[in-house]
Amino acid sequence: MKYDVLHRTRYIYASPVRDSFNDVRLQPMPVPGQAVESFLLKVLPATRLTHFKDFYSNWIHHFEIIEPHGSLTIEAQSRVVTNPPAPLPAERLCSFARMKEAPNVERCFDYLQASRFVELSPEAWKLALDATDGIDDAWLAILALMKFVHGFLKYETASTHVHTHMSEVMRDRRGVCQDFAHLMTGLCRSLKIPARYVSGYLATEAASATHAWLEVFVPGHGWRGLDPTHNCQVGETYIKIGNGRDYADVPPISGNYRGTREHKMEVEVKITPVF
Amino acid sequence: MSDADNSGKIREQTPMFQSQTQLPSMDAAAVKGAAEGLLASCQQNASAFDEFLGVDGRPRPHYAKLLSALENFTAPELRRRRDTSERLVHEQGITYHVYGDPRGVERPWQLDPIPLVIAPEEWRSLEAGLIQRATLLNKILADCYGNQELIRSRWLSPAMVFAQPDFLRPLHGVKVPNDTFLHFYAADLARSPDGRWWVMSDRTQIPTGAGYALANRLVTSRILPEPFRDNHVHRLAGFFRDAQSALAQLAPRQAGTARVVMLTPGPHNETYFEQAYLARYLGYMLVEGQDLTVRDNQVFLKTLSGLERVDVILRRVDDDFCDPLELRNDSILGVPGLVEAVRAGNVVMANALGSGLVQSPAFMPFLPGLCERLLGEKLKLPSVATWWCGQKDARSYVLDHLGEFVVKPAFRSHLRAPDPEKPLNKAELAELKRHVEFDPDLFVAQERVELSTASIFENGGLAARPITLRVFLAATERGFRVMPGGLVRVSPDAGGKFISMQHGGSSKDAWVISETPVEEVTLLHTAGANVELRRTGNNLPSRLADNFFWLGRYSERADATARLLRSALLRFNPERAGGGRSLIAPLLQTLEAQGQLPGISAKPELLQNAEAFEAELLAAIFDPARTGSLHSTADHLQRLATQVRDRTSNDMWRVLSQLNDRLATPTSSLVLLAGDATGVLNETLIGLAAFHGLARENMTRAQAWRFLDMGLRLERAVYLCTLLEATLRSPDAENPSLLEAVLEVVDSRITFRSRYTLLPSVPAVFDLVLLDDKNPRSVLFQINQLAKHFEKLPPEREDAPGSGKNVLAKCRARLNQTDARELAAPHDAWRNSELAAVVRETLETLPKLSDAIAAGYFAHSEISRTGRGTEQ
Repeated sequence: MKYDVLHRTRYIYASPVRDSFNDVRLQPMPVPGQAVESFLLKVLPATRLTHFKDFYSNWIHHFEIIEPHGSLTIEAQSRVVTNPPAPLPAERLCSFARMKEAPNVERCFDYLQASRFVELSPEAWKLALDATDGIDDAWLAILALMKFVHGFLKYETASTHVHTHMSEVMRDRRGVCQDFAHLMTGLCRSLKIPARYVSGYLATEAASATHAWLEVFVPGHGWRGLDPTHNCQVGETYIKIGNGRDYADVPPISGNYRGTREHKMEVEVKITPVF
Repeated sequence: MSDADNSGKIREQTPMFQSQTQLPSMDAAAVKGAAEGLLASCQQNASAFDEFLGVDGRPRPHYAKLLSALENFTAPELRRRRDTSERLVHEQGITYHVYGDPRGVERPWQLDPIPLVIAPEEWRSLEAGLIQRATLLNKILADCYGNQELIRSRWLSPAMVFAQPDFLRPLHGVKVPNDTFLHFYAADLARSPDGRWWVMSDRTQIPTGAGYALANRLVTSRILPEPFRDNHVHRLAGFFRDAQSALAQLAPRQAGTARVVMLTPGPHNETYFEQAYLARYLGYMLVEGQDLTVRDNQVFLKTLSGLERVDVILRRVDDDFCDPLELRNDSILGVPGLVEAVRAGNVVMANALGSGLVQSPAFMPFLPGLCERLLGEKLKLPSVATWWCGQKDARSYVLDHLGEFVVKPAFRSHLRAPDPEKPLNKAELAELKRHVEFDPDLFVAQERVELSTASIFENGGLAARPITLRVFLAATERGFRVMPGGLVRVSPDAGGKFISMQHGGSSKDAWVISETPVEEVTLLHTAGANVELRRTGNNLPSRLADNFFWLGRYSERADATARLLRSALLRFNPERAGGGRSLIAPLLQTLEAQGQLPGISAKPELLQNAEAFEAELLAAIFDPARTGSLHSTADHLQRLATQVRDRTSNDMWRVLSQLNDRLATPTSSLVLLAGDATGVLNETLIGLAAFHGLARENMTRAQAWRFLDMGLRLERAVYLCTLLEATLRSPDAENPSLLEAVLEVVDSRITFRSRYTLLPSVPAVFDLVLLDDKNPRSVLFQINQLAKHFEKLPPEREDAPGSGKNVLAKCRARLNQTDARELAAPHDAWRNSELAAVVRETLETLPKLSDAIAAGYFAHSEISRTGRGTEQ
């Protein structure tokens, strides 16, 4: 599938602010199964943009606005072609013994540890064990965990915020896609299955919006996308922006400025299939 | 998790405990008798190595000269020199901030006058070992932040890098000039009973202590000048000179124009003294994060005269706090955008961001192998035996011998480690074992160390105390260079095994001696070099301008408060009906309006009760918890002085400290008499006069002084106008006693008497204290001074109608057009007079002026975070 994505964020400050420094993570990643044909980032007030690739290979665009400004608009336009591999069948694909090799794969280490929003507590470990009771295959365990998280949590808009920790999600058993992804990430890591958080877009939603899911590492099959919010493997309607240990590594916009904390924020995401 | 990683690359540990083989002892004849005097009193710990004495109880050869010199001093002479050393420490203001010490920010530095002496040949081998170690650690950093070959080839376990909070992912792949991460490096050394030196810990994040070593040297060399000279002690200045020129070379712009600054977390940091001291010694400006800003990926210093480019930042801020954008976003110490400026190569950080990684003790067991791999050499200087529990074999060994080791966090963390000084009981051991088993990567175990001892001067004799030696290295163009000397830290008790300045340790100078006379170097002047004469001092960071301005305001606020309270106390007469209160009402109203006596006019009961009223006045003087009290103002004043400590003289600092001491004394539930209080007020006023005198006579007329004086003038005008306004509102405005009180408060009684033989009248008094531009206590005088300052300052940021200059000009014109004589017609109600209108208008203008100064020169407001998108 080919999509045009328009993602516009607008901040309106109660009084003009200055010295604004920001990092933007909105450029979709070129990965197997996803080609980025074009990407355009516009910032108003106009300013110079620089960009670099971070530790997790995400593209970060950096800008500063020194002069006082009453509002800030960040608009990203991408054209992305998705052509994901077929979903893996629900059968024995990877023994736990084989999964033990995963840490030897470069850069897997971070995806096996606790991180800012993901914990590896005894409670999480117990939850993961119970959910995979009697399963002796890592891939089947992953699918079981996805199903478990999907049923365990209640999807409830605005029940959490971007800084909600996995432990609260486990306690309150509700949340949004970010929380589904964090919880499943934590459960996978508790079973020593490398899991990373993914931020991106989902094109099928009635009101298209940013979305979050996760990827797990399956030796022999590479990183596989899973969406616990919808209990499915990631397909051609998923557009990946970036990945990291958890949300903290891939917030779409982060930054700071001098001036009032009071502001309004408007976000608009439009995803149009291109035929 | 790292079990798969037992590649056997851990090297064999050599425990420090070995049978005691002694260094060759000295030629006894040379200093025969030396050990019998002073040293005879010195109790030796049989198992430890003693730095001064050989195993035979005779002094070691390299101490011969020092000890014989000390022998020649009588006990009183030694004591006198020790006292001199304490005085020098106090006078230079050498302090160390102990966290959580209720006595406040500053604690005097502890220095023992007897130096540690290191023999030339011993130093040479130490030097070689240290240079090798610094080179090695730097190479490891370059690899971890580069292509991570060591992890790929399994020489390092991924956990050692990725599990560390000190591995800063945003810095991965960022190039640093010459691959130099460690511009400075320090190591803590200890000597084992067999006489070998071992590295106890590596300091790569912020190697502190070189400044204290320098301060120790200046004191020790002054109190022991003869032995210092005779021993051919290597000078420290050459090291700092080399470090200075190396930093200048790093600048992305050509040397000469390069600006190096030292970034400090601020006066509350434990080693702030050292930062200010070193910055001054090296000639760098000491700045806080808010003094710097990034523009177009370049770093600038915000000064009153505009932005000045910064090339090199010598940082004393932990690296993860340096940039709230890319590193810790809760940091208020950093500079947003700094990492991007580093990435662009526009600024060099020393040490490089992320260099804290290799100070983890988890690296220690791997250093011998890494040294052979990276440098092709054997590791010369061993580390104290250390086991990282992330390794399977090491872990099981540690778990089997848990009680014998010091177990500590492998990485910087909030983990609570057991107190190394206390043996663990069974339950604690089991708890520790559980922790290590659950998260082995996070722990290391180290051998318990028997420290060597050195003699300190105590109770008129010498006593042996355990010591460690911190040594310092700097990266120069010709590789690392070791400072010939060091900071000796002394345990407070004889059996101590761990030394921390936070826990009351003392210190010593370390003398590296030479067989031949040493070269004299000083940083103070370079012979033959052309000195570029400078006169401006006009690059004051705006944060400091702000602090000076408020220092001025608070000093005058204290002055005015003290004067008003003094006059009120003196005039308050309990014998008279109402205590004669109507005549001091304007004074009280002024204090009310300015926050010293909040709500006093709404408490008529105080009017009846003389005792309660007096108590209220005393609280306004002494109660530190009461906002606006004289005591709390003095506290404020001292806090501000701390902020500008490196820009003011020690005398000014001392005057303000004394001010605080004086007000602090009577809180101990003493029943205070009004008479005592006026005494304290008098002393306070004299102290403040001393402060203002020092400011006037000792500060150059540069921006710092200007802002101090502007603050003072503005505050004085505020108090004056408030008092004059209250006077005109009073029904007793024409009462000579009241006017007399006003003259007293504004210190113009003598002038008035010399001009008028009459009793004070409203027009005469107001002419003197409102309109007389020759009277330094008049309102117009303050306004004129402010106008003069404005002319000398760089232009304000915006030339709006609300700009300081415009506000001031209007105010001045209004006062100049006023003639007290024309207003002299007797008025039934002064409160409605033209005179009252002038005073009121001036009073309303002053806050606008203060705002304009803040807007025009002190650019800072809170940092907020850009809001984040909410996910579905």
